[in-house]
Amino acid sequence: MQRFRLAFAALACAALAIAAVAPVANAATTLRVFSGGANQRPDLMRKLFDQYEAAHPGIKIDIETGGATSELQRQYLSTVLNAKDSAIDIYMIDIVNPAQYFGAGWLEPLDAYIGKADAVMKPYLPVYLQADVVDGKVAAMPGFADAMFMYYRKDLLERYHIAEPKTWDELAAASKTIQAGEKNPNLQGLSIQGAPIEGAVCTFLLPYWSQGREFNDASGKMTLDKTAAVKGLDKWLAMVDQGVIKRNVAEVKTPDTVNEFKAGQVIFAINWGFAWDRFQADKDSTVQGKVGVMPLPAMAGGKSATCVGGWQWAVSAFSKNKAEAAKLVQFLATPASSKFLAIEGSLLPTYQGVYVDPDVVKAVPWFKDAANVVIAGKNRPMSRDYGQVSDVIRTTTSAVLARSRTPEEGVAEIQSKLARVMR
Amino acid sequence: MAILDRVRDPGERTLAVVLLAPAFALLALIVVYPIGRIIYQSFFDARLSGGHGHRFVGLDNYRIAFHDTEFWTATWHTVAITLITVPAALVVGLGLALLANLPFRRRWPVRLALLLPWAMPLAFAGLIFAWFFHTEYGIVNDVVRRLGAGGEPTMWLLRPGWAFAAVCVTIVWKTSSFMALILLAGLTMIPRSLYEAAEVDGASHFQQFREITLPMLMPSIVVALIFRTITALQTFDIPYTMTRGGPADATETLAMLIHKTTIDYLDVGYGSTLAVAMFVLSLAVTTVYLRRLARTP
Repeated sequence: MQRFRLAFAALACAALAIAAVAPVANAATTLRVFSGGANQRPDLMRKLFDQYEAAHPGIKIDIETGGATSELQRQYLSTVLNAKDSAIDIYMIDIVNPAQYFGAGWLEPLDAYIGKADAVMKPYLPVYLQADVVDGKVAAMPGFADAMFMYYRKDLLERYHIAEPKTWDELAAASKTIQAGEKNPNLQGLSIQGAPIEGAVCTFLLPYWSQGREFNDASGKMTLDKTAAVKGLDKWLAMVDQGVIKRNVAEVKTPDTVNEFKAGQVIFAINWGFAWDRFQADKDSTVQGKVGVMPLPAMAGGKSATCVGGWQWAVSAFSKNKAEAAKLVQFLATPASSKFLAIEGSLLPTYQGVYVDPDVVKAVPWFKDAANVVIAGKNRPMSRDYGQVSDVIRTTTSAVLARSRTPEEGVAEIQSKLARVMR
Repeated sequence: MAILDRVRDPGERTLAVVLLAPAFALLALIVVYPIGRIIYQSFFDARLSGGHGHRFVGLDNYRIAFHDTEFWTATWHTVAITLITVPAALVVGLGLALLANLPFRRRWPVRLALLLPWAMPLAFAGLIFAWFFHTEYGIVNDVVRRLGAGGEPTMWLLRPGWAFAAVCVTIVWKTSSFMALILLAGLTMIPRSLYEAAEVDGASHFQQFREITLPMLMPSIVVALIFRTITALQTFDIPYTMTRGGPADATETLAMLIHKTTIDYLDVGYGSTLAVAMFVLSLAVTTVYLRRLARTP
C-alpha cells in the first residue's frame, strides 16, 4: 500500500509539473501529422520533420502512424474525420482520396495559404492537377509518387533475343517462347494482381486504358466503354488460357507477385514502385541485377498507360493550426523534399525535373526509366465515393478472373452499380 | 414490473426502484439508445462521403433494400449458413462431447483440445483456413494430390459453390467445440446410476443413448442451439477473412454487407436500414426459440 501511495504522489507531482510547464510549451505550436503506414516510410518523414523543426523554432511536429494498406487507412481516417477530430492537423492520404475527403468537407482548401490551383500545380507531374485539385480548389499537395510498373527479367529476354514487347500479344508470345525454352513448369509469363485488393482496380484499368479509352470524364461522370472493357478482361483470360498468367490469378495479391518474381518464377510482373528495391536489394532475391523496367504494353493499335499512385499531404478542416499546417505541407511538397525522399528512400518524385537530377540518378539509376512510365500515368476514377467505386471494380474484376462471372456480366455489373455513384 | 408488485412495503418498493434504476439506465444507454438511433438513421439519406447532406427520405432506404438483389443474396447466404452450420456443429459437437466424456485416464489433454478452437479468435480461424484452401500452397490440395488425384488442382475459394462449402466447413470446425463444451457440461450432470440400471436391464449402448443421454441432454442442446443460431445469423469474421465475400458476392453475409455499406461506402443511412433488417431477422428467430423454450417444462 505504501508503495502505491508513493507512486500516486509521484504521479500527482508529475501531473502538476506538466500543468505548470504547459503554458510555456503552448507558446510553441505542436502540429500532429498522420503519416500513413510502414510502407509510407514514417522514418523518412520524421527526418523531413526534423529539418523543418530545425528551420522553424517554435514548431514541434508529432507523428502518428497506422493502417498497413490504403483501405485500412481510409477506414481509420474516415472515422476520425467524420468525428471532426481536431487532434490531427495534417494527413498523408492516398492519391485516390482527396476527392472524397474534400467533398466531405474534411480538408481545408489550401488556395488561401499557397495560391491558385493552376499555378500551384504547374511544376508537378500532370496527374496532380486532376488528383489534388477538387472543384477548382487545392485539396492536397503531392508528397511522393508511385505507379504500376512492368518489371521483367532482362537476362531471359536477352537469352532468347526478344525485344521489350510493345503490345500484350507480343508479351504473351515472348512469354510462351521463354517458357518453352526454359522447360520450367513453375515459370509464369506474367504476374498481375487478381485478388479483390486495390491493385485489382489497376488490373481492370490497364488493358482498358491502353485502348485509348477513359473510365470517367473530367467532371467525374462515368464514360465506360463496355466493349473495350470486355476486350480488356478477355485479354487477361486469354493469357490465362495460354498459360502465360497462372490459373489461380484471382488469389494473387501484391506481395505474391513480389515474392514469386524474387524467387525467379516470373518473367514479366506488374507491381508498384516499391517492388524494385525488393527485387534488387533483398537478400533472398534470386534475380538481383537481372531486372528491367519498361512501359506497360498496350492493346494492338492502342497506347501504353499505367495506374498512378502515391501519397498526398492535406490539412484537416478541423485543425486549430491551419496556417502553420499549410506552411509545413508546402515545405513537404517542395522539390527539395521530393529529392530527399527519392535519394533516401527510392520514393518516386512528384516533379519531372527531380527524376533527372544528377544526385537522384546517381542514387537511384532506374528512375531514368521510371520517369517516362510515371508521366504517362493516369489516375484511377476520382470520386467522392471512391470507396464504393474501388470495391465494385476490384470485386468484379476478381470474380471475372476467377471465372465466376463472364467479362460481359462483370462489365454490366460495374456499369449498373456505379452509374448511381459516378454521375 | 411484476416483480415490484410482489413487494408489499412501499419503502421497500422505493428501495427496489432505486436499486434497479442504474441497471435500467445502463441498459437504456447501451442497448435501447443505439437500436433506436439505428432505426432513426434508417429513414435518412446519410451518406458521409460528402456533399450529400443529411436528409429525411422516409421509407426510401427500405424500398431500395427491397429491390436490392445483393441484400437478398446476402440474406439468403446468412440463412443458409445458419441452416447448414448450426445442425452440423451440433452433430460434430455432440460427437466430441461424447468422446471427451469417455473415461480417459487423463482428461485435461482432451478437454484442452476441445477448448482450443473455441478460444481462437474467429479472424485467425478464417485466415488459417484460407491458407488450408489456397490453390497452390494449401494443405487441402496437397492431401488431394498425395491421395493420387490427378489433373489441375481445385481452386476452392475461387469457385462460388466450393467457396461457400469451405466457409461452412471452417465455421463448423470453429463452433463445434463451443457446442461440445456446453454438451459436455450437460453430460457430466447425467447420473451414472441411470446407465447402470439400464445395463442391468440389458439395454444396448444405442438404446442407452436414445433413452437416457438424449432426453437428459435436451436442455443443454436447446441452450447451445440458441446461442449458436444467434451467432450464426451474425456471421462475419470467417467469410470476411477467408474470401472477402467473394468470388463476387458468393459468400457475402448480411453482416458483411452492413459493414461494407457503412464502413467502406460510408452510407450510414442505408447501412442502418440493412442493420434493422438483420435485427428483425434475429428477433424473429429468437422469438421462435423462446416460444419453444417456454413450452418445454
